[in-house]
Amino acid sequence: MWVSRMRKDISSGIDNVEGREKISGRAQYTSDIRLEGQLYAKTVRATIAHGLIKQIKLPEIPDGYHTVDYTDIPGDNVVNMIESDWPVFAETTVNHIGEPIMLVVGEDKEVINAIIDRIEIRYEPREPEFGFNTSIAKLNFKKGKTKEAFKKADRIIEETYETGYQEQAYIEPQAFIGYPEDEGCTLIGSIQCPYYVKKAVMRTLDVHENAVRVIQAYVGGGFGGKEEFPSLMACQLAVAIKKIGRPIKLVYEREEDMEVTTKRHPAKITMTAAIDAGGKITAIKSHVGLDGGAYLGLSKVVLSRGMLAVTNAYTVANLTVSGDVYKTHTVPNGAFRGFGAPQMIFAIEMFIHHIARSLGEDPFKFRMDHLVRQGDLTATGGVFRDPIIMRDMIAKATDISNYHDKYREYSEKQSNRGIGMSWFLHGCGFTGSGEQDIIKAEVRLKKDTRDIVHILTAAVDMGQGPKTTLKKVVAGVLDIPVENVTFANPDTRYVPDSGPTVASRTMMIVGGLLARAAKKMKSQWVGGQEVVVSEKYAQPDYVKWDQETMQGDAYPAYSWGVNVVEVEVSPITYETRLKNVWTVYDLGKAIDERIVRGQMDGGQAQGLAYGYMEVMNHETGKISQKNLTDYIIPTAVDVAESHNHIMDNPYPLGPYGAKGVGELTLVGGAPAVALAIEQATGQKINRIPATPESLMELMQDE
Amino acid sequence: MVKNVIPSSYQEALKILASGKYRIINGGTDMMVRHRNWAETPPKFKQDILHIHNLSELNDISEEEDILRIGGAVTLDRLLAHPKTPGVMKECLRLFASPAIRNVATLAGNLANASPAGDLILILYLLDARIVIESLGEKKILPVDKVVTGPSKTVLMPEEIIKAIDIPIGVAKQTYFVKVGGRRADAISKVSFAAVYSFDSDVLKDIRMTLGAVNVTVIRDKAFEQTLIGLSKKALMTRKPDILKHYEPLIRPIDDQRSNKRYRKRVALNLIGDFITRIGG
Amino acid sequence: MNEITFTLNGKKVTLSARGDTRFLDILRKELGLTGPKEGCGEGECGACAVFVDDRLVNSCILPLAAVSGSKVLTIEGYRQTKRYEILETAFLKEGATQCGICTPGMIMAAQNILSQNAHPSEEEIREGLSGNLCRCTGYNMIVKAIRRASKSGDGPW
Repeated sequence: MWVSRMRKDISSGIDNVEGREKISGRAQYTSDIRLEGQLYAKTVRATIAHGLIKQIKLPEIPDGYHTVDYTDIPGDNVVNMIESDWPVFAETTVNHIGEPIMLVVGEDKEVINAIIDRIEIRYEPREPEFGFNTSIAKLNFKKGKTKEAFKKADRIIEETYETGYQEQAYIEPQAFIGYPEDEGCTLIGSIQCPYYVKKAVMRTLDVHENAVRVIQAYVGGGFGGKEEFPSLMACQLAVAIKKIGRPIKLVYEREEDMEVTTKRHPAKITMTAAIDAGGKITAIKSHVGLDGGAYLGLSKVVLSRGMLAVTNAYTVANLTVSGDVYKTHTVPNGAFRGFGAPQMIFAIEMFIHHIARSLGEDPFKFRMDHLVRQGDLTATGGVFRDPIIMRDMIAKATDISNYHDKYREYSEKQSNRGIGMSWFLHGCGFTGSGEQDIIKAEVRLKKDTRDIVHILTAAVDMGQGPKTTLKKVVAGVLDIPVENVTFANPDTRYVPDSGPTVASRTMMIVGGLLARAAKKMKSQWVGGQEVVVSEKYAQPDYVKWDQETMQGDAYPAYSWGVNVVEVEVSPITYETRLKNVWTVYDLGKAIDERIVRGQMDGGQAQGLAYGYMEVMNHETGKISQKNLTDYIIPTAVDVAESHNHIMDNPYPLGPYGAKGVGELTLVGGAPAVALAIEQATGQKINRIPATPESLMELMQDE
Repeated sequence: MVKNVIPSSYQEALKILASGKYRIINGGTDMMVRHRNWAETPPKFKQDILHIHNLSELNDISEEEDILRIGGAVTLDRLLAHPKTPGVMKECLRLFASPAIRNVATLAGNLANASPAGDLILILYLLDARIVIESLGEKKILPVDKVVTGPSKTVLMPEEIIKAIDIPIGVAKQTYFVKVGGRRADAISKVSFAAVYSFDSDVLKDIRMTLGAVNVTVIRDKAFEQTLIGLSKKALMTRKPDILKHYEPLIRPIDDQRSNKRYRKRVALNLIGDFITRIGG
Repeated sequence: MNEITFTLNGKKVTLSARGDTRFLDILRKELGLTGPKEGCGEGECGACAVFVDDRLVNSCILPLAAVSGSKVLTIEGYRQTKRYEILETAFLKEGATQCGICTPGMIMAAQNILSQNAHPSEEEIREGLSGNLCRCTGYNMIVKAIRRASKSGDGPW
C-alpha cells in the first residue's frame, strides 16, 4: 500500500528536528514566555477534603488586583471533558483538598501572596470518603459462557491485586499564558490536546469557536498528565482574562502540581479463574475497581481500557468482567501513559504466573499454552486479525536474556536474584468507534509556492518525536527531503482538529491520514503552485464495536511487547536493584529507530519504577509526597542498561506499517520486575509498588 | 524587609552576629529550600541574613598533627577532594545529594541544620568530631554529640557561628558505611549505618557504631562499645544477639512520607547484625 | 537591597536586588535568560544548573549574594563553545533529547563530568548525572551521548 521510494529504510534514525532548539536552551516553554503587561495568577485552594464553603471573607483588594471565581463564569461552570462533572471553580461544595476556589490576579506576586494569606474561608466539613464504596461509573462485558465454565471447573483460583498512585512527574510543571483577543482569548500552554482546551474554554466562556485560539508551546513532558488537566487551568485562566482584560500567566509550582493534578488511578483488581482438568484456564471472572478521586473526568475510559486488557496476550474462551470507578474525596485521577492497562497487565501477568505455580506447572509453558494466536477472539469477541509474532519475540527475548537458564538457576537456589518476564499487548488508538464518533480527525497538508510542504495537524510533540516522525512520513511519501517539510507547534487558528495526542494514536491514525494526504498531494503536485490537501478519518470497515455491550473490536490494531528484568534484592535492606533489562517490541514499523529507542528506554524506566520504586499515598485526602525529593523517580544511577529490540510486523493501515508505541513500552514493566522480585525473595507479590518496606513485611512474616 | 549582609571580614561577621538578629547562610542548600516561596518572590525569611561563603577564615582545610580542621564555609566537593579526608567520610560524601549540591553545601551547614537523617552528622559522631564555635569575644570547642540536641535543634546561639569542625584523622582503621534511601542516588536516608573497627590479630581493639535517621539524633553508645573491646571474633559472633538486643530499644524511628517505623527498625537491626557477621564471621 | 557584581557569560553585570533572591529568578526575570529552567524549585531536578566559578550549582536554591564577585556561565554562554558543539552533536546522534526540558541542565552536567575526567567510565557518568532528573529518556541514551562526546578525536576536555 505504501510505496516507499526512500533510498534508506525509513526506520533509520535522523537528527531530531527540534533537537538543536532544545539542547541549546532556546526552545520556549510556557514559563519562558513573557508578554507585555502580563499579570500573574495564583490559585486559592480548599484545605478540607469534603464539605461546604459557608463563607469567604476577602481582605481589601488593592487597585489592579482581582479575584476570579465561579460567579465570573459566563458559560458553564464545568470543564468540558468526556464526563463533564468537574467544576472550573468550586461553588459551595468542596470535594478534595486543593480544589480550586478562586484565582487571585495581579501584577506583583508578593502582593498576591499577601492577599491570599488574608483570605478567610469558613467551611462546614463533612465526612470524607476514601474507600471503594461509592461507584460513579460501571461497566461490564462478557465473552462466552462463564457460569458453565465455572461449574465444570476442576479448580478455581482467586487472587486480588492492588496498585498505587503514579505521578507523571513531567519535569516541566503545568503552565499557561494567555491574553485577550476579540471576544475571547488566545491561550498558550503546555498541553497535549489543543482542541480539548479550545472546546472547554468555548463552553466556559460561552463563545463561538472563532473567539478562542489555543497554541501549544514546547511541552516539557506530558505522559497523559497534560491530556485533560490543562483544560481546567485554561478555563480558569480564560475567565480571568475575560474579566480583567489583560494578559495573565498561570504557572504551577512543583508542590502544587504534585498535590492537585491528575495521577494514575490506584486500583484493586480481583481475578478468579476456572481451570479444567487438562490444566487450561477456561474462564476468568474479574472486577476492576479504580479510585477515581473527586470527579469522574475520563476515569470511565481508563476503566474501560483496563478491563479490556483482562486477558492481555492470552486467549481465554469465557469471561465476565466488571468494573467500577469509585468516588473518593481525593484529587481527581486521570490519564497517564497506559491509561488503565498497566494496572490490569500487572494483575493478569502475576495471576497467570501464580496459577501455574499453584498447579505445579512450569509458568513459561503454561503461559505459552494460553498465548494468543492470529484469528483468536479478543476479550470482547473481536478478532486478532493481523499476524502476531509473539512466539518469535518471546524466543528472542529468552535467548538474549538467557531467561530459561537463569530462571532455573534462581529457582533452585536462594540467591537473592530473580528474573521475571512479562508479555503484553496494547490496543492502539481510541477504544472502539471513538475515532469515528468522537474525534473525527482531520489533517491538512499545504504546499506553498516554494514547494515547501506544511503539516497542519493538532498533534503535539511532547518529547515522543512526532515533529520528526510525521515529517519523515510525509517526506517519504512525497519523496522530498525532510528539510522541505515544516511542522509548527499546533495553533488552532491554523490547524484542523486531528484529535488529541493520546492513546498511542499519533503515528498510526494521524500519521496514517498524513500519508494518505501526501499520496493525494503527490498526484496533484504542481511545482511552484500552492496545493492544499485534506484528509478525514474513515474507520476501517472491519472495525465493529458496540459501546453498550462492549462487544466487537475494541481497537483496530495491537502492538506487542516482551520485557525481561533481572534483579537482586538485598536480604538486609530489602532494596531491589535492577541488574539487566531486555525487551522486544512489535510496533509494526519504527518510523525512526532513535526515537523508538527513546520511547523504549523512557517507557521502561517509568513502568519498572511503577512496579517497585514510585510511592505516592494520601493521608485523609492529603498527598504525602509533594515534591521531587519525596516522590522518588529513578536517577541515572537507578536504571539498568537495557537491551532493546524491535521486530517489524507491518500493519497494512499504518503509515509504512507503523502501529502505536508511546504507551506500549510502559505497560509491561511492573509485572516483569514484580515477577523477578518474587523469585529473588521467594515471596508472592500481589501489590505494587513492591517497595523495600512491603518486601520486609512479606519476608518478616515467614 | 529582610536585610542581606555580605560581611567583608570575619570580625565584621562576628560583630553583626552579636546582635542576635541574623541567620547564617553559606550556600543556602537547606535554608533556601526550607523558606521557599512562589517563584520570582523572595524566600520567606523572617530574620536578616548573613552570607558567610566568602570569608577566608572559614574556607580553609588545614591539618594539625592528627586533626583535620575543616572551615565552616568549606564546601563538600572540596572536602571530598582533599587527600586527608577520612575514607568513611568520602564514602558518605559520594552518596550525598548530587554533584551540584555538594559544590555548595557545607559540613558546618549540615551540622547546624541537625536533620535526624543527616548522613554527614553520622560520620561526625563516628569520628568523635569536635566543633569549634565562635562568637564575638568567645570561642569554645564541643564534642559533636554535645552540639546536636534534637531534630533540627542545636546548642548554637544566634550570635554563634561554627568556625570549624575538627576531625581526628588516622583514626579509622576499617570502616563500613551503608546508606538506605529511596533510590540509589540523590536520596534522603531512611536509615544509615556507619562503623569503624580494628582487630589486632583476633582481638577487637576498637569498635564504633552509629545509626542515623532512626531516632531524634544519631545513635551511638560509647559505653556499650567499650564492653566489646577485647573480644575475639568468635566471641563477638556469640555476642551478636545481645548486641542487637542492646540497640533495639535505642532505635526509635518514625513514620513519614519516605518510610515507616517497622521498616527502619528492622533494617537498622539488620545492618548492625550484618556488620557484626562481616567482621566476626 | 544589595549591589551585586558578577561576570555573566563573559560580561560584567551589576544588579541591585535582595541578596537572598533566587539566582534562577535573577537569570530568568531580571536578565531574560530562559535557558536555565525551573523544574522543582528545590535543587532536586538539575534543570536550573549553571556554573559559578567553574562549579556546577543549582541556581534555584542559590542566593544572589553567593555569586558576588564570581564568574557565572549559563547554557546561553556555554552554547557558544566548541565543547558544546561536540555535546550537541552527540546528543543529536544518540537521540538523547525528547521533551528537552532537562537537556540544558544535562549539558551543563555533562560539561561538569568531562571537565573532571575526559574519559569517564559509565559509572562515573551516571553518578555525575545523579542530580539531573529526566522523565522521558530513562537516561541510557544521555549516558551514551556523553560517552560519545568524550571519545571525540581532538581531546577538547
